[in-house]
Amino acid sequence: MRPSKLALTAGYTALILISALFVIPFVWLLRSSLMDLSQIFTMPPEWIPKPFHWDNFRRALTTLPFGTFFTNTFVIVIGVLVGTVATSSIAAFGFARIPWRGREAVFAVLMSGMMLPAAVTMIPSFLGWKALGFYDTYYPLIVPAYFGGGIFNIFLLRQFYLTIPRDFDEAAFVDGATYFQIYARIILPLSRSVLIVVALFSFLGTWNDFMGPLIYLKSDRLFTLALGLQMFQGTYSAQWDLLMAASAAVVLPCVVVFLIGQRYFLEGITLTGLKG
Amino acid sequence: MSRRRKSLSVLLALVMMLAAVLSACTKSDSGQGGGNSAPPADSAGSESAGGDKPGEPITLRMTVWGAPEEVAAYKTAIAKFENKYPNIKVNLQHIPTDYDTKLTTMVAGNDEPDVAQMESASIAYPLAEQGKFYNLQDFLSSDPEIKQDDLVPNITYWLEPGNIIGLGPGPETFVLYYNEDIFKDAGLTPPPAKASEAWTWDQFVEVAKKLTIDSKGRSAADPGFDPKNIKQYGVSIGTWWGNYSNFIYSNGGDFVSADGKKFALNEPAAVEALQKMADLINVHHVAPSPVQAKNIPATNIALQTKKVAMAIDGQWATAGLAQSKVHFNVGVLPVIKEPTTTVVSGMFSIFKSTKHPKEAWELMKALLDPDAAIDLITAGTWMPAYRSWYTDPDLLAKWTENLDSRPSNYKDAVVDVLLNHSRQTPTGYVKNFNKIMDIVNPALDKVWLGQQTAQEALDSVAAKAQAQVQGRRDVEG
Amino acid sequence: MRKGLFYGLLFTSPAILGFVLFTLGPMVASLALSLTDYNVFKEQTSFVGLTNYAKLFSGEDELFYQSLGVTFYFVALRVPAVIVISFVVALLLNMNVKGRAFFRTIIYLPSIVPAVASAMIWMWLLNPDLGLINSALRWLHLPTSNWLYSEGSVIPSVVLTTLWGIGGTVIIFLAGLSGIPKPYYEAIEVDGGGWYSKLRHITIPMVTPTIFFNTVMAIIGSFQVFNEAYILTQGGPNNRSLFYVFYLWRTAFRDTEMGYASALAWVLFVIILFFTYIVFRTSKSWVYYEGGERA
Repeated sequence: MRPSKLALTAGYTALILISALFVIPFVWLLRSSLMDLSQIFTMPPEWIPKPFHWDNFRRALTTLPFGTFFTNTFVIVIGVLVGTVATSSIAAFGFARIPWRGREAVFAVLMSGMMLPAAVTMIPSFLGWKALGFYDTYYPLIVPAYFGGGIFNIFLLRQFYLTIPRDFDEAAFVDGATYFQIYARIILPLSRSVLIVVALFSFLGTWNDFMGPLIYLKSDRLFTLALGLQMFQGTYSAQWDLLMAASAAVVLPCVVVFLIGQRYFLEGITLTGLKG
Repeated sequence: MSRRRKSLSVLLALVMMLAAVLSACTKSDSGQGGGNSAPPADSAGSESAGGDKPGEPITLRMTVWGAPEEVAAYKTAIAKFENKYPNIKVNLQHIPTDYDTKLTTMVAGNDEPDVAQMESASIAYPLAEQGKFYNLQDFLSSDPEIKQDDLVPNITYWLEPGNIIGLGPGPETFVLYYNEDIFKDAGLTPPPAKASEAWTWDQFVEVAKKLTIDSKGRSAADPGFDPKNIKQYGVSIGTWWGNYSNFIYSNGGDFVSADGKKFALNEPAAVEALQKMADLINVHHVAPSPVQAKNIPATNIALQTKKVAMAIDGQWATAGLAQSKVHFNVGVLPVIKEPTTTVVSGMFSIFKSTKHPKEAWELMKALLDPDAAIDLITAGTWMPAYRSWYTDPDLLAKWTENLDSRPSNYKDAVVDVLLNHSRQTPTGYVKNFNKIMDIVNPALDKVWLGQQTAQEALDSVAAKAQAQVQGRRDVEG
Repeated sequence: MRKGLFYGLLFTSPAILGFVLFTLGPMVASLALSLTDYNVFKEQTSFVGLTNYAKLFSGEDELFYQSLGVTFYFVALRVPAVIVISFVVALLLNMNVKGRAFFRTIIYLPSIVPAVASAMIWMWLLNPDLGLINSALRWLHLPTSNWLYSEGSVIPSVVLTTLWGIGGTVIIFLAGLSGIPKPYYEAIEVDGGGWYSKLRHITIPMVTPTIFFNTVMAIIGSFQVFNEAYILTQGGPNNRSLFYVFYLWRTAFRDTEMGYASALAWVLFVIILFFTYIVFRTSKSWVYYEGGERA
């Protein structure tokens, strides 16, 4: 698609304006992380720390065992990521590509799980996992990923699978392929971009999730980064300089992952020579 | 293959569901105590339940919230405690956020700690009303080391007369902060520190007006004053119950009547206090409205950047002020009728489900010890819980002399008021406080914004609020 | 067809199993609890039948209708705003410009910045006196607003603050856009069509499955808005931002009335289910699947 020069300039300007607006929280976060506590809230705000408090990072990351938090979070995230990508894509295939009676009804029932506010399922869930003896372990946080990885992802993948033309499937059937082969050889490669999106969301969601770890964990040594960030809040006030520094440190890996990932899933796979 | 998988999965599903529902049911079965853990110990269990032999290793669990320095103070207390009792180990569980949600979940799962930090404004009383806590009165009466009077007033929380469910590790009072430089430059006398010399409300308003400056340099006392372009406010007042309760009490009012049966915020004394505060915002224009108040995130920054000349806030702000390097000092609050301060504080409670009540009590005492929290106290965040630290000159000096957080007038402004003119936080004695405030707060929103008078607003919700009134905890019946 | 059933179930079995194990149990439990007076701290819980629901609908609980109204208003404003704006932003980000990766990352950043930091920033931006937005408006001689602090403007302001987090929605649109085959666009160019034709005849129809997904998710998510009330407004002023799930959470965890809160939850469930169902039903007429399926 080659837009005209005018369209390009207009678009570019729009992009810059929007980005400027969107980048504010991140810039605010970064500059606060390098500031002395007394400077963070001045009105009107100062954008350049005077002086640069690099030691905010050192202090923030050593006051609490962030090294341990990092490792813990990493373990959980990888565990969830693998399970989610694997099982959500098979499930989506089952809901999108295989015709069977009751398929839509079952899908609807699974969707309904997202419609009940978590506040009221929190305690029964907790009690269930506790009864199984998994309180203060990572099981409640990781195991569900291997059972579909969340209906959000299944729904997303289903939508994409539905857009893939059936011609391939039909040709493959004629050749005697099984559903497994169709899944592995046709659908999977064609949906690479969306799978990376799922992986990305899964990574980011788990990285920042604090409610799960809060409810299911009790020992400090198991805590994650998201919980660690919350620890800077005191009874009457928060240690903002350390909180911002720690937040910046926690967000950085996400930014890196995103930068890498977006290249893969957004350079799109064009479906060549399909129609006719 | 799929059929076998299906039946297995159905089986697993049933088990899981059963487990979830059963656990919920066991907890909620009528008449049953706490499911899995040890049967609840008797109240007044001053003798240890289960008869532990001395010297047997014991683990106590304690939950707290708070920033790293607060947790550090608890850890210091615990270290001293463990030194004194080598057979006892304390497992400190720091709940970083959503404390109430987490604790509620723990209680639902029979996973209560032995000692827990509690907040009277949230779930402390719901728990207490279900009899989940020990009556600390029994411990206090039978313990030779500590008496009720050893503690400063108003950090003791009663469920009802004779039943103490929590003790606070340290009080927090309210004071009038001010920026010394602003007063010097304006040539005005700063607020007095002694309660006997406290400003009357009118005197207070006069000074505040002189110190409210618009962008052209006119003060609120000048005729040409422009209230839409204020550069510096005379005073910042918070609009939460902690702040305005001071003035309601000062005027002889209260949240509920003395017998606890009637809603009292629409009574003349309370209404007058609330109206006076709202007038600071809307009539005299000396205080930022709640709208503008969010502009000023913290007292220390507001004073440091000279956005306000004075600020009414809790004692804990001295910590931030000390760090901000502003020349601040404290005075007593202005008085409508009587000098008063409300005392707020958290508390520690002992769950009845504990297997070691005696040891838990010893832990409590260690937590109340000001020496353990000395760093927090000298930083300004906390105040000591023991009366002796206010009356004994040496102990007093330990936490008020030569500290950035304790300017010259601190002793006068704080000590006397706390010991002689303080009132308990309304969350400590008004039953069903939260539900009442759910109704009152929206009405007060209108008052602060100048849309209604205090009398109108409170009268309009009085009936609904009255329906929520359930009595007081400091009177019988 | 039997073969279809077998394989269908086989592929979806982990998901179905997962639902039954981890979701269904707690859901059923909460439904059961909604028929009781379960208070987490009380020893005794009794079955009360439909009393909780009766109390809700009878008007005895004013805050129920208040929070429903507030939430509906929020959803009505937010869903169209999010879909339209995300789509436009995605179109922009899909252009072949230099630094595209950089722009995309920036758009996505706010959704991973911790909520605490974002809240601080919004409070500053929307400050009526010194905030950036009002200052800019004054400079342009446009009327200003009290944003979060005024009953009339609080909900639109909250919608505004959530627009920062559209990164995820934009990404999904981008993924959808990337799947449109270039030959289609080339065909239009050959026929002499400009950008508008392309948009109307290729882009939008091809991306309807994504629009559908994002709309459904926006509805489900918007009805459950919580953080903004929790962090920014505490439900005020005057209960004008007392979002339903915030009210529910307060009932469940501050007032510990878990039975009543469960009833609240199930009412919301039915509402969300209803709207989602409507979107699904109408989708047959407007969603186009290349694969030839119907929704």
